Parts: sequence; C-alpha cells; structure tokens
Amino acid sequence: MDIKAITFSYDKKVNTLHGVNSTIDSGKVTTIIGPNGCGKSTLLSVMANNNHPQSGQVLLEGKALADFKPKELAKKLAVVHQQNNAPSDMTVEKLTGYGRIPYKSLFTSATDDDEQAIEWALACTNLTDKRTVPIDELSGGQMQRVWIAMALAQKTPFLLLDEPTTYLDIYYQYELLELIKGLNRAHGMSIVMVLHDINQAIRYSDIIIAMKDGEIVAKGTPSEVITVQTVKEIYGVDVVVKNDEETGMYIIPIGI
Amino acid sequence: MFRKNKKALSFISVIILLILVSIQSALTGSIKVTPFELIHGLVTGTNDQVAIIKDLRLPRILIALFAGAALSVAGVLLQAVMRNPLADPGIIGVSAGAGFMSIVVVAFFPTLYFFVPLFAFLGGALAFFLVYSLSWRSGLDPLRMILIGIAVNALFTGLSQGLGFSGSALTQSMSQVMTSTLTMKKWSDVDVLLLYGTIGLVLAFVVYSWCNYLALDDKTAKNLGINVNLARLVISLVAVLLASVATAVAGLFAFVGLLIPHIGRSLVGTDHKVLIPFSALAGALLILTADTLGRTIIAPNEIPASIIMAVIGGPFLIFLLRKSDRIYGH
Repeated sequence: MDIKAITFSYDKKVNTLHGVNSTIDSGKVTTIIGPNGCGKSTLLSVMANNNHPQSGQVLLEGKALADFKPKELAKKLAVVHQQNNAPSDMTVEKLTGYGRIPYKSLFTSATDDDEQAIEWALACTNLTDKRTVPIDELSGGQMQRVWIAMALAQKTPFLLLDEPTTYLDIYYQYELLELIKGLNRAHGMSIVMVLHDINQAIRYSDIIIAMKDGEIVAKGTPSEVITVQTVKEIYGVDVVVKNDEETGMYIIPIGI
Repeated sequence: MFRKNKKALSFISVIILLILVSIQSALTGSIKVTPFELIHGLVTGTNDQVAIIKDLRLPRILIALFAGAALSVAGVLLQAVMRNPLADPGIIGVSAGAGFMSIVVVAFFPTLYFFVPLFAFLGGALAFFLVYSLSWRSGLDPLRMILIGIAVNALFTGLSQGLGFSGSALTQSMSQVMTSTLTMKKWSDVDVLLLYGTIGLVLAFVVYSWCNYLALDDKTAKNLGINVNLARLVISLVAVLLASVATAVAGLFAFVGLLIPHIGRSLVGTDHKVLIPFSALAGALLILTADTLGRTIIAPNEIPASIIMAVIGGPFLIFLLRKSDRIYGH
C-alpha cells in the first residue's frame, strides 16, 4: 500500500495531515504511534477510505482507493473501528456473517465459501462456542473479538485497526494483540494499527510509524524508531530505553 | 430456544387475533348479521343487509388493515434510516405532507383524483426531505430530528387547515383526509391502497437486509462495501410511499408507526427480516381494532380510529421517551 502526498483537513482550514508519504509493506505488522491530535487515526481513516484526502492518494495494489468499487475494496481491506454499534440482540455468528456482505448481492444466499469464512473467523478469534450468544451478553474483550471476526470473515489481505485495545483491561489488551500478531504470522495478513502504548507497539510491530503534527517523523523497526531522542521529540517525555535479554526492548518514562 | 418460541408465539397470536377481529368487525355495527348469514349472503348475493356490508363495511375493513400495515412498516423503515426509534411518519410530518398534497389535488384538480396517491407521495417525500436535511448535522441527533419533524408537521397541518377555511367546497374534502374516519370508503379506494400498498410492502421486505446493515455505524457499513447513502435513499422512498398512500386513502394516523415497531422489537427482535412482516400484521390488527372499537362502543355514533390511536399513542410516546436511551441497546 502506497501513501502518496496525502493532505487532509476536516474543516478545510487547518490541515490535519500535511503531505504524508509512506509505504506499508505487505505481510508486516505496522503500528502508527504519536501524541493525541497528531493525525494518526486520521491517516488510518484515509487508508480505510473513510476520509477522502484533499490532495494525494492511497494506492492499493497500484490502484487508487477512490477507484475501487465499494465491495471490491471491502474484499481487499477490512477495518476495525475504535467504537462500534450493533443491535444488542444480534448473535455473534450473525454479526460475524456481516463480513460476507462484500461477496453478496441483495438476492444471493449464503455459499459454502461464506460458511467456511465464518467458521474460520470464529475459530481465529476463539468465539466458536459463543456463536449463538447475543452480543449484549459478551464482555468488552469478547465484543472486540467479534468485530475482528467480522473483519476476518471479509477474507482480506489487509486489516486496519484503530486503537483496538482502548476500553479493554490489560489482560484483554494482550489477548487481542496476541490474536492480531497470530493472524499476521499464521495467515500472512498485513496489519496496520494505531496504538497508544509504546511498549505494546515495540513488542507487537515489525514496523513503527511515528507521527507528530500531521507528519511522519520516523519510520522503521522498533529499535530504529524508539530512541530516547525520538520519544522526547514526539511526546516531549524523557524515557530510558532498556534492552533486556529475556523481555526484549522496552521503555520506561522518567519525567518531562 | 426461548427466543425462537417467543417469535413464533407472537406471530401466531397476532394472526389469530387478526382473523378474529376481522370477523367480528365484519359482523358488528349498525347492521348485525351472523357468520352464516354473512358467508351465505356473500356467496349467493341474495341478502340485502350483506350487500350493504359488502359495499360499505368490507372496503373499510380492508383499508384499515392495509393502512395499518403500511404505516407501521413505514415506521420501521424510517426508524432504520434515521437510526431513531422515535421516527414515525405521523410525528415527523411525512403523513401531514402527504395529506396536504392530497387535499390540494382533491380541492383544486378533482379530475386528477386517480393520481392522488402519486401527489401524496410527492408531498410526503418533500416533508421527509425537509426533516432529514434540516436535522442533519454530521449525524442525526434524535432530539433535533423530532423537533424539526414537529415543526414540519405543524407547517403542513396548518397549510391543510388553512385551505379548509378558504371555501366551503373544500371543507368537506379536507375533513375527509384530515380526520380520517374510515367511513364512506369504496372498493375503488381499496384498489388504490391494495395496489400501491402491496408494492410498498413487497419492496420493504426486499430491502430488509439493508435495514439491518444501517444499524451498524456508517463507517463500519461503508467498510463492508455497503453503499450507505443509496440504501438510505431507497429505504426512505419505500417508507414515504407506504405512509403517503395510506394517508391519501385512509387519512392521518399518528403513532401506529411508533407503537407497533417498538412492540415488535421487544417481541420478535431487531432483525428486519422478521420485524417487517410482524409489524405489518400487528399494525393491521391495531388499526382495525381501533376502527372497530370506534364504530361500536358508542354506536350509532362513531369515534374516528385516528382519535382512538392518538389517545393510545400519546401516553405511549411519553413512555418511549422515558426509556429511549435503552432502545437499540446502546
């Protein structure tokens, strides 16, 4: 996926993104980090074709997102949003099945492919035994897994997630990150996500993109991007970067 | 398992009640007959009393059934489009817009009588467009939508009533549309409602999956490849068609489109595949019951069904507003 000179503004006065250029490598886990208001979620929504840039374009397999038919794009790229709503009496299976919408028209019924994709999505997210449960009986972590299951049922090479760990307690945060990493490792899905926690970004990303004020400041492997200098520059926070043989790399904030 | 049973039980109950009330409605009133006399008379055509029932009471029953079905399904569709359980064609002015255009045609262009449903549709669509566009502020705020709907409703109701004062010839045609007693309905009225109503109900069922998808957030639906704007437009047009033709033929009924879908959701769930047919049946039952009660409790005088509906619907709206934050499970 190629991001070419994206400029975006919500009110057409102040630019949220200033000519952002980047490339998202296929088969990698890429995490976008940065302080509040830096434009990281906006960039993700431009990549998801939910926001349309004032100039520049995002190319997927060499074709601009805007040139895809909606259903064609939904077969290439699935998105899990930070906040989602669905009727509370829907079952897990039914909502997961919505991921098959791109493969259907108003008049077609479910095919074997649909059923297999749903089974697979439920198995990946460990929801097979919850399939008949209405979603209002699920915990926050389970609910977030249902939204991921729906995205997986789309059978896309790309999966975008906007702050998927928000509102979850620490156990479910790591459960979710393990799930996402597993999808990448086992099925080769290209993952792009926005995270707040730098240590989570270090642990679960192949590539980190660091943003500030609507621009990309640094991009590379965690050890290339997360240094004392870049964290100070981006967040204004002093940190110590540690490299432990057992736990790997991590940072500790020590002040501002 | 319990959920399944509850759904089936709800359907069976409504269908049985519908049949019972229909029979009761056909038999009672200023002319009373026994079931045997009714069937015998309808088949042989030799009973004068049954002939009157056939000419006056049966059209009325059919119109009550279809208007009830059309209005409650219109309510279901509008609620799906606006993602707001308070959207009702009677409350947000769609029916008033349709009623106004009907009056204009009946009063000024009586030769176009056959096209009244078409003009009613244009009036309903105009009212809906006004409410939708004026209440859109990067999303539809439920309260804002209701307030603008009330304003649009008041506008068209006022215009209609204003017309009523402009000449005595208009008053009669106007009161027929505005007060919606179901008296004096002919088989030609049934034909109109049956034709457009059936088209509308079939279309409503065809788009049930779109109604379901609109319960998702717009961005989620878009990422699934759904053309959200197209779905909204199509569903809205079907809803306006149903509400307008019901208003043009049967008159203004508020609250059916509010009450029935709400009860439907608690009985059969939010899946529109089930909710739409259930609402059609239950809406038909409600209006027919209201009309039958209205013409029997103080016979030989009549209380219009719309007035009975308003008396039931008003308190129910308050009840809904009191617990509206729980609807849709948000």
